[in-house]
Amino acid sequence: MNELMVDARERLVARARREGLETVGYGVVDSPLGPLWIAVGPKGLLAIHYGGEPSAHELERIVRAYGPGLLPDARRSDPVARELDQYFAGRRKSFDLAVDLSPLTEFQRRILSATAKVAYGDVTTYSRVAAKAGNQKASRAAGAALGANPIPIVVPCHRIVATDGTLGGYAGGLDAKRHLLALEGGAVPPGGWPTKRAM
Amino acid sequence: MAEPLTFGELLERHEREIFAYALRLTGDRDDADDVYQETFLAAFRGWPPPRRGQERAWLYRIATNKVIDRARRAKRLVRIDDLRLAAPERDGVSLADLATAVKVLPDGQRAAFVLRKLQGLEYAEVARALECSEEAARARVAEAMKKVREAMR
Repeated sequence: MNELMVDARERLVARARREGLETVGYGVVDSPLGPLWIAVGPKGLLAIHYGGEPSAHELERIVRAYGPGLLPDARRSDPVARELDQYFAGRRKSFDLAVDLSPLTEFQRRILSATAKVAYGDVTTYSRVAAKAGNQKASRAAGAALGANPIPIVVPCHRIVATDGTLGGYAGGLDAKRHLLALEGGAVPPGGWPTKRAM
Repeated sequence: MAEPLTFGELLERHEREIFAYALRLTGDRDDADDVYQETFLAAFRGWPPPRRGQERAWLYRIATNKVIDRARRAKRLVRIDDLRLAAPERDGVSLADLATAVKVLPDGQRAAFVLRKLQGLEYAEVARALECSEEAARARVAEAMKKVREAMR
């Protein structure tokens, strides 16, 4: 985009913000795991999406909660981008960001709140997270809720692994999950995290 | 292309062409900037777009009306340097054609000329943008081309 357009867009978005037309600001940041799409709403961080564009499903979820007023707005995404940069550089172990889980179901919120308490460098299992969320038998449902985590990295679903010691799943791909666990320097099993249980 | 769900999708898909359109019609960077902003703010305020698949013509209609409103308020001289920014590279329409069009054509014909010859809209889209029939859109473009050629002789 040329300079003329960049300036014009910034002024447009600032006016939309002042008029209350913008409800959610978004931006794309580069990371060691590729581009991340970030959305910040009135109550805090709404989404971090692997890849430069959100999925239609993601957008629909946000539009249902906050209407169509999503605009590219670095003023809202920059504070998140800064903390992510520090995290990827190994200079930040927890995030000072408000997260907004309100557009999710009660069960998803409980699973993600339990996940948010798993500290940097630690790992736990799907069934333990399910137990913390009040239903130990719901480990499969916990896995599904974590798979649909709209705010990966900041809500650290990468710290949740399978009970059999394998890596489990990850929305950003298992390489991304390995990268994050290695970055946090936790107890990595000898030979690294297995994807599937050894026979 | 799917219907835009959000303001940002509409903006990211169409902001460049609307800015270029505003620049081509007004021939002035500051005016083009204002028209671009007013067009999208009006679109956001008037959300949702009227009909599926017609948001492009809708934006052009808003932008055209903004340009005409401004022209009515203040007649400005065209700066050739700014036209250069908007210089077309299609349909054999030259910078000189555009400069002439901006000078000699009445607003409605200029908008039709720019929409068809420079923005590359189909006649059906030109008609929707200018709220006229397709036949009227064709007639306006033909008339505009004739005037531009005459003026350049």
